[in-house]
Amino acid sequence: MPHVAVTAFGADRPGIVAAVTGVLMGHGGNLEDTAMTQLGGHFAMMLIVEVPDSESADALERALVADVGSQGLTVAVRPIVEAEAGDAEGSAWAVSLYGADRPGIVHRVATTLAEHRGNIVDLSTRVVGRDASPAYVLLLEVLLPASADAAALDEELRALAVELGVDIHLRPDDADVL
Amino acid sequence: MIRPVLQLPHHVLGTPCAPVGELDDVVRALGRDLLDTMRAASHSVGVAAPQIGISRRAFCVDVTGHRKARSCHGEVVLFDPVVLEASSPEIAREGCMSVPDLTGDVARPTALVVQGLGMDGEVHTYEVDAFEARAFQHELDHLDGLLFLDRVVADDRVFRRRVYR
Repeated sequence: MPHVAVTAFGADRPGIVAAVTGVLMGHGGNLEDTAMTQLGGHFAMMLIVEVPDSESADALERALVADVGSQGLTVAVRPIVEAEAGDAEGSAWAVSLYGADRPGIVHRVATTLAEHRGNIVDLSTRVVGRDASPAYVLLLEVLLPASADAAALDEELRALAVELGVDIHLRPDDADVL
Repeated sequence: MIRPVLQLPHHVLGTPCAPVGELDDVVRALGRDLLDTMRAASHSVGVAAPQIGISRRAFCVDVTGHRKARSCHGEVVLFDPVVLEASSPEIAREGCMSVPDLTGDVARPTALVVQGLGMDGEVHTYEVDAFEARAFQHELDHLDGLLFLDRVVADDRVFRRRVYR
């Protein structure tokens, strides 16, 4: 069965998840990987949904807009090409960054990682203490190919930390299977 | 005998196990099956009875050669284990043979004292720390019907297992 990507965003209030998933269920959808979270007082939803062959992304989007669009939710549904996840070769690493907020932190860190062919697979940021001097917290997971030089990347991130005036830590993200 | 390792969504994994009580031939056979199954899974450092479908309080652990291990008692089989002492916790990422594809950050005491019956029917007390302590607690949780998913420090600290080490 095909899959669609559903995104929804709007002012947070009780009942958003129930309303959106109710429409999806009514159209025969089955939720697979999803991420839903509060961002800056809004609620953001990203869902991969398996839908019956008879269901189109456009029709599902119209149904969602008709049902929850009036409640201040911006909704989009797009068809997605099936992707085989497959085990990545290489190693998983975590990057944590914190310091005074300033424009360009995410871009600079992401650029450094991309130069090492690192693939960011998860990233979240938070602005904390919004008053006079807000702090910025960035946590991300990155996959490095086997050929990457983690020590060189670590050195570059340290230099970047000095330049940006923040703290950056790179550590292996190795899980033990028990 | 090597037993198949059950995976989610098998309900025995979420069910608290019954005590073993007296050691008899059936219980000793369970202990041998746990060891055989652990040895057969080269990356495994422990197996709990519910993972092979037996809802009894028994597990085995062996952290020999693991780079994060400090204390190491080799192959340990324990029946009806109880925790006598536990230190303050530390967060680390773990996965489970019964939970494919996912890992999660779990806070666990870094040292503990555990007592239970061994294969010889005698009471054994183990002082374990570092990775061996984590392995003991992971298996102890199985006996209470708990997976690492029940213990993750926050709901966004569960991850796709990407690299199999």
